[in-house]
Amino acid sequence: MPGFLVNLLTDGPLYESTFRLAVVLAFAAVGEWVAERAGTINISVEAMLLGGHFGAAISFTAMPNFALAIAVGGMIGVFIAALQAWLSHFFAADQFGIGLTLNILLLGLAAFLQPRFDLETQLANVASIPLLSDIPVLGPALFGQRWPMYAIYAFIPLTWWLVKRTNWGLEVRAVGEDPQAADVSGINVNARRRQTILYAGLLSGVGGAVYLFGQVGRFESSNIGGKGIIAIAAVIFGGWTLRGALAGCLLFGYVDALRLNLPMILGYGLNSQLLASLPFLATIVVMLLFARQTRQPAALARPFVRGLK
Amino acid sequence: MVLEAGRIYGILGQNGAGKSTLMKILIGLVTPDSGEIYMDGQRVLVKSPQNAADLGIGMVHQHFSLVDALTVWENVVLGDRSNRLDAGSARTIVAEIGGRYGLEIDPDSCVGSLTAGQRQRVEIIKCLRRNPRVLIFDEPTSVLTMEESEQLFAVLRQVVRDEGGTVALVSHRLEEVLRATDNVVIMRDGRIVAEMPTSDSTLDDLARAMVGRDVRLHTSEAHHMRHGAGSDAVLRLSGVTVASRRGGTVLDGLSLTVHAGEIVGVAGTEGNGQRVLADVLSSLCKVTTGTVEVGGVAVETGRAGAMAASGIGVVPEDRHDSGCVLDMTVAENLMLTSLNRVSSHGALDRTAMRKSAERLISQFGVSCPSPDVPMWTLSGGNQQRVVLARELSVRPKVLVAAQPMRGLDVSAIEYMGDRLREAANAGVGVLLISSELDEILHLADRIVVIYKGAIVGEMRNEAVDMTRLGMLMGGAI
Amino acid sequence: MNMVSRSAVGRLRFSSDQRELALLYVACLVGALLISLLLIEFNGSSWSRAVNALVDGAFQSPGRWGETLRRTAPLLLVAVGSGVATKAGIVNIGQEGQLLVGAMGGAFILTLVQPGSPIMLVLGIALGAVAGALWAGLAGVLWYWRRIPIVLSTLLLVYLASQIAAFTLTRGALLLNVVPGEPNRLLQSAAVAAGSRLGIIEVFGNRFSLSVPIALVIALAFSWLLSRTTWGFRLKVLGLNSRTAQRAGVSHFRYGMSAILVSGAMAGTAGAMMLAGGESQYKFSSGFSSSVGWDGLLVSLVARNSPILAVPVAVVFAALRSGSMFLSVAGIEAVLVDVVRALLVVALFIPPAISELRRKRRAMARQTERV
Repeated sequence: MPGFLVNLLTDGPLYESTFRLAVVLAFAAVGEWVAERAGTINISVEAMLLGGHFGAAISFTAMPNFALAIAVGGMIGVFIAALQAWLSHFFAADQFGIGLTLNILLLGLAAFLQPRFDLETQLANVASIPLLSDIPVLGPALFGQRWPMYAIYAFIPLTWWLVKRTNWGLEVRAVGEDPQAADVSGINVNARRRQTILYAGLLSGVGGAVYLFGQVGRFESSNIGGKGIIAIAAVIFGGWTLRGALAGCLLFGYVDALRLNLPMILGYGLNSQLLASLPFLATIVVMLLFARQTRQPAALARPFVRGLK
Repeated sequence: MVLEAGRIYGILGQNGAGKSTLMKILIGLVTPDSGEIYMDGQRVLVKSPQNAADLGIGMVHQHFSLVDALTVWENVVLGDRSNRLDAGSARTIVAEIGGRYGLEIDPDSCVGSLTAGQRQRVEIIKCLRRNPRVLIFDEPTSVLTMEESEQLFAVLRQVVRDEGGTVALVSHRLEEVLRATDNVVIMRDGRIVAEMPTSDSTLDDLARAMVGRDVRLHTSEAHHMRHGAGSDAVLRLSGVTVASRRGGTVLDGLSLTVHAGEIVGVAGTEGNGQRVLADVLSSLCKVTTGTVEVGGVAVETGRAGAMAASGIGVVPEDRHDSGCVLDMTVAENLMLTSLNRVSSHGALDRTAMRKSAERLISQFGVSCPSPDVPMWTLSGGNQQRVVLARELSVRPKVLVAAQPMRGLDVSAIEYMGDRLREAANAGVGVLLISSELDEILHLADRIVVIYKGAIVGEMRNEAVDMTRLGMLMGGAI
Repeated sequence: MNMVSRSAVGRLRFSSDQRELALLYVACLVGALLISLLLIEFNGSSWSRAVNALVDGAFQSPGRWGETLRRTAPLLLVAVGSGVATKAGIVNIGQEGQLLVGAMGGAFILTLVQPGSPIMLVLGIALGAVAGALWAGLAGVLWYWRRIPIVLSTLLLVYLASQIAAFTLTRGALLLNVVPGEPNRLLQSAAVAAGSRLGIIEVFGNRFSLSVPIALVIALAFSWLLSRTTWGFRLKVLGLNSRTAQRAGVSHFRYGMSAILVSGAMAGTAGAMMLAGGESQYKFSSGFSSSVGWDGLLVSLVARNSPILAVPVAVVFAALRSGSMFLSVAGIEAVLVDVVRALLVVALFIPPAISELRRKRRAMARQTERV
């Protein structure tokens, strides 16, 4: 048994898998973190991820340029986010209903459009950072990935700075805690909320594209399957802090990686369905054990209309 | 209305006279249908609070303008249009303005942990830093002790004297306006009915102009010697403590008794636990320790409907929040707590419901076209009547009325008062929670004072000692 | 982009609320149809062929009415359950998983107990209902115990359910139908025992199972329950104002949980009845739920949570599905219908939401303002 544990803890490829799977979660989670700090819950991050994933595939097939494709992915994510934002915060339609419908819509669109395009995509090149990637066990995982993955290293501090150090971020936080007070202070509550949703769309769209070029290489409409939802769970698990959300992504990424690598580590096959259910099971169990209510933005998921509390 | 520089104006009027709407127009929250606003002779359009701030109009709000979860300095700079967030200069601003006007406050403390008086300081600082030329205060003293009120008026004097600005003090408290202002503007039914220098007016003048007819101010109506002492205690709270989420307590060993047929007035400035007290008695809040007894029988706190079932009726402070269901019909709201009476074996008898509703509507004079209109179409006063009707219709042992006159016009207030007295005469123990001392002096047999979540003193209304009362309310004893 | 600013909302003058609403509906529907048209054209097909195929597949061709009706039943059941939950203020969007679990539970009795009998049929459906209720109830427990949002846990449970369902189909000891001597093992269960199948109704060559009238009766029953019983009344109070509900004796836990359990039970029943009614040749397989759960949710959204309105809406959605079977003949991907469906939902979402919002704003303005 101890041997097995040691294997589990020092398995380099396991950590590489973890990181790769955590990155796509992190893109969605970081974006959704901002949106939830503003008081919205967007289950359509699933659609945003898928949209970015698919859009990047189409773009790359049309013109084999990674950067362009990632940008296209981001734009599609923003577009879907715009639908979510305008429909639920402008028309005050139910944000969950809209999110659900968008997810269904995107899945249908992807399944419908995929055969139209002869999709030809590939994985981006590995770009190992010298020296850092030589650190044992963790080095290749964190610094030896394909280059699009490194984008997350830029987005995390950028997002933190936006929310904590700018006026915009202060207003976003105010809007999520007490939209009435924010309104009276002259802040356009619904506009701020929409902006955060657009930001989540940008990040998720880019995340979907990065996932394509950094992890899977080929588009399948089932690639995203639930990752958006897990990202939301990560935000909640993390108590609505950025650090917590990222920890959640790592944790869930780890479980997903286990699913892929456990048979190899253990040396024998395990039932594939049980393995596939691990991430979702783990999400539920983890939230059960660690979900903390205290730091939830007070106005979370409550639509704001001036005068109606 | 004309406001000149260097003066403090009192904008006086009853609830519903339009003072709040007028202020909201000035601050850019409401767009007028017609009319013009001029500043320094120039026509201006106030389109938003941001716009108003640019024009030099600032308002210190009564509620809803500070975000609890943020710190003082964050709240002060909230709504700025700049891009950088400079914590350092924000803290300096707080210290500087605070020092200048005697409004010291720690910039890094979390607003949620401040007292009402401190929160108002933050509001004022937030307002003053924009160097407004017109400063509007909306009912500022309801949350202040008498001492804090005096301090506030001193600040106002200073603003007007030093800066040459204008202060508009919106209030419905006559004495305050007499004390603190230079000119009085009186509103009634959406228009200005009188303007005069304060020194030229008396209490009666103001009251008459406000209401449009002679009004009994402090009614000398005999406080009926209802069977106060010696009667059964219908409600008894013993040592009730409710912990707050941030550590500390919202209610701290509160003990209180109400006897059948008496009206007990709970006096105190807002923010001393009144809301939580009403919530506990509405089954909306669980107590950490202590007991609540109705007619000698302990009632479980926090369990849905337990208080109502044991005989406590509540007219809550915010009827939209916990008093009624706006989207349901008037009939449905009337039957909310007495469904058993209009149903058999779980099936609702809509006809019986309608009949009961019609009976209550006529009994309580609710003005509505039919029992089947949605609640949200009724005016505030009528909604209050519906809530009252519902609570009284089940013959409660105790009736809790929390800020019952708030938002009502004069006739509605009189009606409310009559109804409460009527209930007491019929043997109901009435607990009147109000931050308006006038109301309590007008109606209560016995007055208790709530301060920081506990009852700190009591006295009979016939023998009220205003000085002692003031000190109790301010926590000085 | 604030086209409709605060003051403009008041300025949009139509002569009556109804006209405004109708115009909004028309505008949104036209928008949705235009997009669908674009997609069809993009596909290289023609709009008229698509419509013809749909109408043909849904109603015109012999026996298609029955197909449409057959598909209506589970959609209706899911929608009714979803409506109940929403009226109580609960966001249960995991019906796809609850339906699957219900079918799975039902399969244990329906396919494994041989010979079948009407009693087994009833037991099977009951087990399906219970299984669906428990699956939803799990999310409820997570909420009332640990404050995990129901919207999240029900979604996670959908993914979990499909894994579990797939798992039961890998073990002969569970649901997998092992046929000795067959090299290509289809991952499906045995067929439902002949005696445990729902009766078939046949009208002019249209065949559909008893699930259709049963679903209709259930929809009517819930309509009555919601509007004419104290349970329904209290449920609505909970959904409209939870604090007033607490004051009035409506226990969040009791009524909230009952709403969750009911919605899960409805989805589970739908699943079990699909199986007993002949879906997928009476065999349970891992893709069994085939988006009926998601569709049912959409039906409920469009029908504004009303069990009665859900009936015609469910028929429309079912017609789209059965019509889509004929689309491939016209050279169009059946999946298009999924897209059109979702577009329609979005289009139908908006008008009532705006309308209600305007109404409320006007009402607030009418009140005596104090703060």
